Order: sequence, then C-alpha cells, then structure tokens
Amino acid sequence: MSPMDDERKDGLNEEAAERRLKDLLREAVDPGPDQPVDMLGSVQRKLRERSGGKFYADRWSTTRYAPVSLFFVTSLLMLIAMAFLFLLLYPVSGRPHPVRNTPVPVQVVPPE
Amino acid sequence: MGTVRPSEDTSERRFVERLQKRDEHAFNELVESYGPRVYRLVFRMLGRSTEAEDMAQEVFVQVFKSIGQFREESKLGTWIYRIAVNLCKNRSKYLARRHNEAQDALDAILESEPLYQAHGVTSGDVSRPDQMVEGFQIEIIVRDCIARLDPDFREALVLRDVENLSYEDITEITGLPEGTVKSRIHRARALLKQLVEHALGEKIA
Repeated sequence: MSPMDDERKDGLNEEAAERRLKDLLREAVDPGPDQPVDMLGSVQRKLRERSGGKFYADRWSTTRYAPVSLFFVTSLLMLIAMAFLFLLLYPVSGRPHPVRNTPVPVQVVPPE
Repeated sequence: MGTVRPSEDTSERRFVERLQKRDEHAFNELVESYGPRVYRLVFRMLGRSTEAEDMAQEVFVQVFKSIGQFREESKLGTWIYRIAVNLCKNRSKYLARRHNEAQDALDAILESEPLYQAHGVTSGDVSRPDQMVEGFQIEIIVRDCIARLDPDFREALVLRDVENLSYEDITEITGLPEGTVKSRIHRARALLKQLVEHALGEKIA
C-alpha cells in the first residue's frame, strides 16, 4: 500500500470518527418526546408575580388568543336579557291617568 | 434559522411591534411558537429536564423584560437564542462554581428512565439486550463528557452539531468573530472526542 493510500485511509477514518461522534452527541443530548406540559401557564405566572400583577392580571389576558367570540356572545346575551325585560315589563307599565286641570282665573288682591 | 422573505420580514416587524407594546396575546403566541425550540436548546445545553424547564421559562421572562431593547439588527429567533445561550452559560458557570457537576451527572442518570422502560421496549422485544445496555452506557458516558466540557465549548458544539445552525447564525448568537467560532467548534470536537475515547477506553470509529 502506497503512502497516498495510507493518507486517504486515515482521512476516511477521521471522517467516519467525526460522523460517529456527532451521532453520539445528538443521541446523548436528545430531550426525547417529553416536553414541558404547560410552559405558557408557568411563564404567565412568573410574569404576573414579578410584575406585581401588572401583566397577566386577569383571566382574559391569560388565554392564548383574544376571546373575541366570548365578548360577542356576552354582548348578545346582554341585549337579549334587556329585550326580554322590556317585553315583560311593558304591558304592566300602564299609562299615566289624564288629569283635567281647568285654569283658575287669577284673583288680584288689592293692597290694604 | 434560514433566509427570511420580505413578507415574513414585515410580519415579523409587526409582531415585534406588538411585543414591544406589551401585547400579552402576542407574547402568548411567541411562547407557543418558540417554546419547544427554546426548551430543546436549553435541555441540550444543561442536560437535565427539570433544570431545562425552569431555564426555558426564564428565557421568556427575560425576553418579555428586554423586548424594548430589541433593535431588529438580527432576527427575533436569533435574539431569543442569544438570550437562551447566555442564561445557560451563566447557569452552567454558577453550577460549576458550586461544584455541582458530579451531583448533576448522578441526577441525570437517576432521572433517566429505567432500562426496562427505555423508549417503550422490554427486554423481550430486543434481540440483543447486551447491545441495548451497551448503547445506554455509551449515551451516559457521552452525556457525562459533554457536561465536563467548558460551557463555551458546549455552546459551540450544541449550536453547530446538534442545532445545525450556520456559522453566520452562531456568530450572531455568540457575538464572536466567525474565525473564533470555527476554531472553537474544532477544538470542542477534538476535546469531546478525546474525553469520550478516554472514558470508553477505545477509539471512536
């Protein structure tokens, strides 16, 4: 075997060792399928605590997305409740009794 | 992290503006989309799941605090990675100062699944249980060798050989010149090879 063949063989061995080392490294630091269960919730809690309640203070802001549909449904329910109350109370509200007030002529009292 | 198209660039800019206005829903989106990636990176840097979970949360707390200082000189993802890497390095150095390295390695072994539970296989499913045991031992040895590396070398190896980031991205994350990054990666590989071969008592091939 010539010195050039030896060098090429060494180079190939070196490359193979490097690839094997990378594989070993990736396997060793692989976190696997387990991921934190509720990272968002934990981060929100930390921010709420550290900001003294300035951020993520209410339940709305801790949801993942702005609860637009919830706002819409709440508004609709309020409108329905107000319409229902109006229809319920309107018949019993009655009308004001008409009062006939005939104007009395003004009597001028002469000074004594 | 790759090249960013103009539309992506614009949408990222709008997203950053929302973050800088402390839009909590935008921040929720950020945690949802970057959370798994940050957790994986932090786990790879620290090697322990409980530690990694806490550190990943700290990364996002830091992002929330510092987003006002983000000048868009780099991509948002690169900037978040930089924060994660710096926090991990500080944590590693703190642990090293407290001589916790030996305890960490032991905890990592204890924290690992027992052999009979490993990746959902039982000894009955494995045709060569001796090979499985050998593989498991090698994994522990390599993990121990990585833990013994200097945090700067570990950072270089994880970013290049595990996260598959480009030299350009690593340069932005570490703030080091490209030449330094390359030489650090080269030295880290050589050092890890040396440590693993010494621990195994044979050459890697």
